[in-house]
Amino acid sequence: MIASVGAEVPYDLLAATGRYAGPLRWSIDRDFPHAAQWLESKFAPWVFSILEDWASGALDELDMVVLTRADDNAQRLYYYLCEMQRQGLIGGPEPVLFDVAQISRGTSLEREVRAVRALAERLGVTDAAMETQIRATNIQRASIPVSTAGKRTCLLAGTPPPDRRIHAMIEQAGWAASGKTLAELWSDPGPLVEEGTGDPAAALARQIHGGRVGNRSFADRGVLVVEEMRAAGAQAAILWYGEEDEALVWHLPSQRRALEAQGVPVLVLTRRDWRGQDDAAEQIAAFLGDLPQ
Amino acid sequence: MNAPTGQRMRKTLACTAAANAYQKAFGAELKRRVVDDGEPFAIVQADTPHEIFHVMDIPIITNQWWSAYISAKQLSARYFQVMTDHGFPENSCKYCSLGFACTLANDPATAPWGGLPTPTVLVARLTCDCIQHVFQQWAQAMNTDFFPMEAPAWEAKVPRWFEQSRTNWDAVYQPDRIAHMVAEMRDLIALLEKKTGRRFDEEKFHYLMERINEQEGYIWEANQALAKARPCPVSIGEQMSNTMIPQWHRGSDWAVAHAKSFRDEVLERIDQGLGAAENEQLRLMWIGAGVWHDPGFYQALEERLGAVFVWSMYMPFAGPQYIREIKGRPMDALASRICSMNEVLHLPPWMNSWMESEAERCGIDAAVVLLPPDNRLSQSGTRLTALSLEQAGVPVLMIDADMVDAKNWDHAKMVGLVSDFLQEKGLA
Repeated sequence: MIASVGAEVPYDLLAATGRYAGPLRWSIDRDFPHAAQWLESKFAPWVFSILEDWASGALDELDMVVLTRADDNAQRLYYYLCEMQRQGLIGGPEPVLFDVAQISRGTSLEREVRAVRALAERLGVTDAAMETQIRATNIQRASIPVSTAGKRTCLLAGTPPPDRRIHAMIEQAGWAASGKTLAELWSDPGPLVEEGTGDPAAALARQIHGGRVGNRSFADRGVLVVEEMRAAGAQAAILWYGEEDEALVWHLPSQRRALEAQGVPVLVLTRRDWRGQDDAAEQIAAFLGDLPQ
Repeated sequence: MNAPTGQRMRKTLACTAAANAYQKAFGAELKRRVVDDGEPFAIVQADTPHEIFHVMDIPIITNQWWSAYISAKQLSARYFQVMTDHGFPENSCKYCSLGFACTLANDPATAPWGGLPTPTVLVARLTCDCIQHVFQQWAQAMNTDFFPMEAPAWEAKVPRWFEQSRTNWDAVYQPDRIAHMVAEMRDLIALLEKKTGRRFDEEKFHYLMERINEQEGYIWEANQALAKARPCPVSIGEQMSNTMIPQWHRGSDWAVAHAKSFRDEVLERIDQGLGAAENEQLRLMWIGAGVWHDPGFYQALEERLGAVFVWSMYMPFAGPQYIREIKGRPMDALASRICSMNEVLHLPPWMNSWMESEAERCGIDAAVVLLPPDNRLSQSGTRLTALSLEQAGVPVLMIDADMVDAKNWDHAKMVGLVSDFLQEKGLA
């Protein structure tokens, strides 16, 4: 079986293998005695969890894990895993780095096409199988339901949280919570992929090259957050950033400005514990509680 | 890069004074060309192909050099505050954002040089999660182009890369990665030619590559002699100055001549049995960027414990990462120099294998590793490197501190940490 790490992976290609087990999961409310020996503090907590599982043999049933280069945590983890396997420190599945190039120049798009083709060849996926899977996944993409909670909605943006624990804090305050968790982001097959192009690898590469959700995307994050706010019908927003975030946090000022320009009240929470073990619940309750009905 | 907090670095080489004087004059000349004469120029990261700009005679301001310059003017604390005032969290990476902060401050009355005019382009390789966001916003603030360069996946892992990188660079750095960087450099040249009207001369470029090989050859020769010499003839501070200043000007007549003079002075000191310290008992390795705000740190334990820092990455890097057999393909050779410049210093297996080999080559007794709290790239690979060194019998001390932010740095405390560590390990 094959698993993945990161948001921007070639979902349709992996699914076309018939052996895709989906993205790896994490369990962060525990200690990481093995991983803490090898990882430095600025790695995201999910990296510690995955490496801990890898080292303890919990992932041994997998044959391969595809890690994206679109996330610095994931790509560094790949190099660590390879070296630790070389040194015999860990066993486990074969780590494979999927190259993601998102610069808006022809050279990067061409590299992305080659990366998809190389992985397809490695996994034995034909163009026909990829095209079939693209069609099937597109049906799934088109039918992803939009949340209609009925309550007042608060958008949770910034660093994707590990699970719905921050959402639960919003819900505890009597609001509906919108915004993807990291687990949801990693499971999302992304936007529609062109069908019937005659070159499904290139079509998939174009989808990844133009990706808008990952840390390496060049998308305008101010525009994106307003799109999310509108799609959710949100009346308030929380920009929540984890301590280890080195990418999305650079767009905090522009996202805040963009939301405030729409008249949306914003609570900013930075340098947060990804486990939510800080005063976020109190701050969220106070913020949402103060907003007029 | 706050104001210096520690003691000054002792300088003993004539070359060091010459390098510093040249750099000071160069700074004035750069300001004249860029600010006074309004020539086209570029803001670039240190790990980008400076050679292209040198060939086209387009002045460059290296982001790291500009940050150091801002720091020397004691403006960094103010600019860190500017970042906070603009809504960026305090823990955002400081290493690459000081220049951006200076632009955001938009205060010509106090900025170095009155602030930078609009550059032709900003160039950065995307080696971490933050740099594209910093440079993208910096370019927007300066109303100019940002030319990002990919840092592609590197699957061809040759742990002892440093033994083959000069000649077998195709295999070491992976042909498709080299080809990709060549294509990007061709795009960059096209952009520069279009925006500046200056032309890229292939013959001039080939000659520059040969001159860089000559320059780095002198540095490497000096380093090999230095590694064998007891005592170590040159402090790491002076190793850095005499390697890095010419490297900013690599391939120029001055840089080649300076590298040669430096080699000669090193060899002369070895012949005379002169040491950087008077009482060398322990040879230490410094892993990480230099602690720019406390250069005296490195010499603080020489007198009391005879503990001398003899190794930092800057000088020995000249051999394996700069010298390239050109093979009639200078652009490919250049790509092989640049396309992994950061990776080999921060990712396993390249980092740990090289450091372990260097510790053996240089007779290292113990290593001190800098672990900056807010910078994943700079932290990266350090624990696995420490493990490799310890397995090779080299004790390692990890120091949680930042190379550019002196806020959490206490000179006496840090010196005490190293001293306690050496005593604990029975080395002092």
